Amino acid sequence: MNHCHRIFAVALLALLSQLGTIDTNAQTGEQGPIIIGANIGNVPWEFQDTSGAFIGFEVDLVTEIGVRLNREIEIINVPFNGLFAAVQSGRIDMAISSVGITEKRLESVSFTQPYYDSDQSLTTVVGSGITGLNDLREQIVAVDTGSTGDMWATANQEKYGFSEIRRYEGLAPAMLDVVIGRVKGYISDIPALLYYVKDKPNLKVVERIPTGGKYALMLGKSTPLTNEVNDIISVLKQEGFINTLHEKWFGAPADPGTSTVDIAPLPGTSSGLIFSFVETFLNMDVFLQTYPMLIAGLLTTLQLGVLAIFSGLILGLFLALVRLYAHKSFRIIVKAYIDVFRSIPLLVLLIIIFYALPFVGLSLSPFYAAATALTFVSGAYTAEIFRAGIEAIPRGQFEASEALGLSYRHMMSDIILPQAIKIVIPPLTNNCINVIKDTALASVVAMPDLLKQATQAQAVAANPTPLIAAAVIYLMFLLPLVLWVSSLEVKFKVGER
Amino acid sequence: MAAHIKLKNVEKHYGNFRALAGINLDITEGEVVCVIGPSGSGKSTMIRCINLLEQYDRTGQIFVDDLLVQRGKNLKNVRAEVGMVFQNFNLFPHLSILKNVMLAPMRTRNITSANAKKKALDLLAKVGIAEQADKYPAQLSGGQQQRVAIARALAMEPKALLFDEPTSALDPEMVGEVLEVIKNLAQTGVTMIVVTHEMGFARQVADRVIFMDEGQIVEQGTPSDVFDNPKESRTQNFLNAVLNH
Repeated sequence: MNHCHRIFAVALLALLSQLGTIDTNAQTGEQGPIIIGANIGNVPWEFQDTSGAFIGFEVDLVTEIGVRLNREIEIINVPFNGLFAAVQSGRIDMAISSVGITEKRLESVSFTQPYYDSDQSLTTVVGSGITGLNDLREQIVAVDTGSTGDMWATANQEKYGFSEIRRYEGLAPAMLDVVIGRVKGYISDIPALLYYVKDKPNLKVVERIPTGGKYALMLGKSTPLTNEVNDIISVLKQEGFINTLHEKWFGAPADPGTSTVDIAPLPGTSSGLIFSFVETFLNMDVFLQTYPMLIAGLLTTLQLGVLAIFSGLILGLFLALVRLYAHKSFRIIVKAYIDVFRSIPLLVLLIIIFYALPFVGLSLSPFYAAATALTFVSGAYTAEIFRAGIEAIPRGQFEASEALGLSYRHMMSDIILPQAIKIVIPPLTNNCINVIKDTALASVVAMPDLLKQATQAQAVAANPTPLIAAAVIYLMFLLPLVLWVSSLEVKFKVGER
Repeated sequence: MAAHIKLKNVEKHYGNFRALAGINLDITEGEVVCVIGPSGSGKSTMIRCINLLEQYDRTGQIFVDDLLVQRGKNLKNVRAEVGMVFQNFNLFPHLSILKNVMLAPMRTRNITSANAKKKALDLLAKVGIAEQADKYPAQLSGGQQQRVAIARALAMEPKALLFDEPTSALDPEMVGEVLEVIKNLAQTGVTMIVVTHEMGFARQVADRVIFMDEGQIVEQGTPSDVFDNPKESRTQNFLNAVLNH
């Protein structure tokens, strides 16, 4: 549920701040700190030391830029996928996170000149038998959602015959699955991976994938700050400052002729226009390009939702009956189960099931891991709903059934449950709505649900339209259910004496 | 076909409260027994023990036709023989009148739906509400609902019937129609135990009247014994209170 709220929140905040930007930009005379968004944890560019302070190549770079501009800087943690909407909406002034310059991105954001030439890389477990891309036929590969590596893998999936591209929210969860063996290789930026495997002898970067990526600072479309910052980068290159950063973080100076050393022009933009609100958030071209991805995501979301709802119903009914009528020791166990699974955050449970169970030999696919977690939690809530429904049936109904000699099974199936169903339908439907919304959390276990597809599409197109479209799709499915529950509640209230 | 019901030293405690204090009772086949007494005297508790809606204390025993009433596979047979009619009818609100009457025979006797329906309609005709068969309980008056509840109990062809204050929840003008049905049943030879506050009815139909107080049988005998010549002062006081107001 939270994750889903988050996309609505991101979209909404982006929207609101977009409306606000005109004002704030107009009064630039008063200079607050430069707000910089960074995907913290992206080694060695921006991460935390043991004291929790932000450090890294790009952190050093923007700190120096702040000094030269004589302005404060403030770094906030934003997931990679959120950076695009954040600079476009003006929530942050600048983004760092080894963001590569692409034609597509230049349509909706600005970049300074690059300061690092990068390639992609393939990382695998030593001894796994995978020594290069050619060994990955019929294998699953991991990438970061919407990253350059994602785009490269998608474009080359057929060529190398990857059976599946699994999309993660960052290096740590992806590497965990590489180590577990659920995916055979991880395709990502080479500098980050070289840094990451430095002290990990079981992992190795086995192939450099030349994609010619160039990292630069990302800013909102045509903001005046772009030129100011770009000029400072030129100065820092002349002074050799950026090369000293290279030496500091990679252990050796950069090669001559690379972007770290040579001054480069400001990346040209194919259109000099500032995108309007509609072009940014309701871009029809972007929507048409990305809607097949969204539909695929929707199908996954619905499959997962329906499976979890049905298995949760069965589990919940079983638990409710045990809770009410079984031997005392079973009742205590079931009550404990219900209490625990209603208290544990779904996200935590999902991560435990997906990433921890493989260590005891139980490795579930993302789909079944998500279905299992949702079923466990939904079952606990459903059990409480059924219990309340059954307890609301007057005692006389049980007594009349018993006095007539009906068996326990017939009493339940013919008398009690049919009456309880009417009471539990509204809360059960609410639970179904929550389950469908909670499927969005499956993004963290690399499952291509609707939210995942939307964030990926958003990063590839560098435009938040797919997120808005996803929000609309969620609404189209869930709003009728919400309205139906309301009308049922009214109807049942009238029907009661 | 009627059942023989025997209670031997039946006690029932709710915590420290003694609801039944050693009941001994022998009800012969076809006998009609009316149980009277003040509220809280244990009348309802006693008949609810007979089909084990209440579990009585282990020290006592209840037999229905020589079957000991206890948890286990015998209970099903006991309940099949003993029908019950409740103060609050307890009809199944989600089922039609017809289905209310048909359900138990179909589920416990494996008879076909057609046979069950035929029999249910006969019984509904007998209690005077055949034309309401397709309605739902909430659409009927209290008196009509109680008559359906009687038909529902009869559908199991019980050898004994327990009535737990069958007219106490009814509006006064509906009491008569229900008592009329019970009166007719009394003549069919089925064993009946009726907990009631209707003294006139008890005098008219009972073979035996039992007066209970504080969980005990204080006095019993023919209606004229109990109503006209009560021996115990507790019985006299109770009858004075209910008859002369």
